[in-house]
Amino acid sequence: MNDSIVAWSECLEKIASKGDREAFRLLFNKFSPLIKSFAIRLSSGTKSENLAEELVQETMLKVWQKAGSFNSEKANASTWIFTIARNTRIDLLRKKARHQNNRIANDHSEEGFDVEDIWVEDENEDVFNQMAKQRSIKSLHETLQELPEEQSFILKKVYLEDKSHSEIAQELDLPLGTVKSRVRLALNKLRLTVDRF
Amino acid sequence: MLKYHPDTRFLTDYAAGSLPESQALCVAAHLHYCHSCRKHISELMELGAELFMTQAPDSVNADSFDKLMEKLDAPQPEAQPGTLHTNQVQSTPVEHEALPRAIRKITGGDIEKLGWRNLGKTFRYSTIQTGDSQRESSLLEIKAGGEIPKHHHGGDEITVVLKGSFSDQEDRYHVGDYIVRTSGETHTPVASQDEDCLCLATLDAPIVMNNWFYRLVTPFLNKPTSSG
Repeated sequence: MNDSIVAWSECLEKIASKGDREAFRLLFNKFSPLIKSFAIRLSSGTKSENLAEELVQETMLKVWQKAGSFNSEKANASTWIFTIARNTRIDLLRKKARHQNNRIANDHSEEGFDVEDIWVEDENEDVFNQMAKQRSIKSLHETLQELPEEQSFILKKVYLEDKSHSEIAQELDLPLGTVKSRVRLALNKLRLTVDRF
Repeated sequence: MLKYHPDTRFLTDYAAGSLPESQALCVAAHLHYCHSCRKHISELMELGAELFMTQAPDSVNADSFDKLMEKLDAPQPEAQPGTLHTNQVQSTPVEHEALPRAIRKITGGDIEKLGWRNLGKTFRYSTIQTGDSQRESSLLEIKAGGEIPKHHHGGDEITVVLKGSFSDQEDRYHVGDYIVRTSGETHTPVASQDEDCLCLATLDAPIVMNNWFYRLVTPFLNKPTSSG
């Protein structure tokens, strides 16, 4: 994917500047199968085809709408789109849960937050310039391949299956501390630890 | 000086989007004040994107793109690219005076407008509605020099300081600090003398009656009051 980072950024910029539908089609062809895969995994066990298609539609619609706020100096296109897919997924699951809870329709007391009030799509970070970002992504890509299976397995569960540490611990019948330490070990290897001081 | 941060578990679950909403509210409040955790979150999002990109693709319905095109062609504002700017309101750098976005949303700039319940003369709280039925989130305010009556935690509690500072037996906590207290701990938070202390707290409350607020409040039978 590394060689395409710039190309995807350019697609987003073309969409923003002139509503370029060909660029949008390119993005769609690349990302929608990934978004669908992301949705399918998260609701394994339930019939999820509709949800998965809905996630694709909703996410890609937002990509189109928000393209103007994409800034290639502050984010990679893939990270930006992943963030939108994550927030859309949270939103769809919340709506579904509300529906299942059978909330009284005219319950006007429900103030509620929008997903983005809590999962702020944070582009105000001054983190790296584009070059540094590409370097760090590359090493991330390589190091991920070198992780022990038990660590990458858990990382995938965390990120792709919408499972919290506690849920993973339950599912795998492991102590919560073991799940935590595997994630921590993986992050250490990926050099994604916090430098506080 | 901000000193207490969410651990890896909270940060990765937040980044992945699986952290329950009420706890995510606390992480978001901390992030509002903490540059190093925001930076870490953006790295964790890059990791997420990397895993996302290496998934096996799953083919979408043949008409999926055309359906989307129809939406774009619909005569609605949503059809315009780049019309939706999520962050245009708060893209300014974080100011310490400003409350986190979600908190600003519920207070609308004036915390007196919330429905508060008083508990003694120096402490009041206001419950926050979230989509999380397992936990309870509230804003807590301790008047300068006041304290929360000694209490015992029935469940895990996360507290984030939003204004002022408070102390307990262990330390003094400042704006942005993310403090986790586990079930069974007892403490007596006291606000600093010079300023009221406003906190956001999320408490695990699988059984409502075990919630310490509830036990404390019940005898007083206070009605929600708005002192504004």
